[in-house]
Amino acid sequence: MKNNSAWFKIAGAACLEVVWVIGLKHASVPWEWLITGLALLVSFYTIIVASRKLPVGTVYSVFVGLGTAGTVLADMLWFGEPFRWIKLVLILVLLAGVIGLKLVTGNSHTKEVS
Amino acid sequence: MDWLMLIAAGCCEMLGVAMLGKLQLNRNWQTLCLFLLGFGGSLLLLSQAMNTLPMGTAYAVWTGIGASGGAVLGMLLYGEERELRRIICIVMILGAAVGLKLLG
Repeated sequence: MKNNSAWFKIAGAACLEVVWVIGLKHASVPWEWLITGLALLVSFYTIIVASRKLPVGTVYSVFVGLGTAGTVLADMLWFGEPFRWIKLVLILVLLAGVIGLKLVTGNSHTKEVS
Repeated sequence: MDWLMLIAAGCCEMLGVAMLGKLQLNRNWQTLCLFLLGFGGSLLLLSQAMNTLPMGTAYAVWTGIGASGGAVLGMLLYGEERELRRIICIVMILGAAVGLKLLG
């Protein structure tokens, strides 16, 4: 049950991640920057909290995966970025690399820090 | 220029993440300042790079540089294992980033 709520937190944090990335690119007036800053802080904080319950490598992988999918989709759906297969494939390869790296490193990394 | 800023943003992110780890061990002003400088600089540079680059591409490459750079630093400076699986992942990230750059 506790783990379930941690997964919901990660999904929420990933949505906020997409919000602040959109903000970084498109915000122009003060209230838009305010929302961007708030989304940034809350998403980072939520990830840190969720990492206390679940393995860090897994949390980070899911978070980055959802964040990347969200920003690429938003780009194509709302901001007129043309759809190109090759670009999508390259982003997927990159994502696979990041996730692979985190899953392989994930558990040993916490030992190294301490 | 936009790609240079993106790479610099990734490097600042690595600094921020390294300091975040250090902060959990010992809290002092110097580490906190470097942490804020790292993440602040990273986000500033990322937003500059996104003026011309598509959002999704910039975000993916930014994350990729942070992750692969962190792993490379770990191997070079902290004696982390140079596992083949990790090196393949790093090559995938860098290859994809270069491909995205070539796409324009």
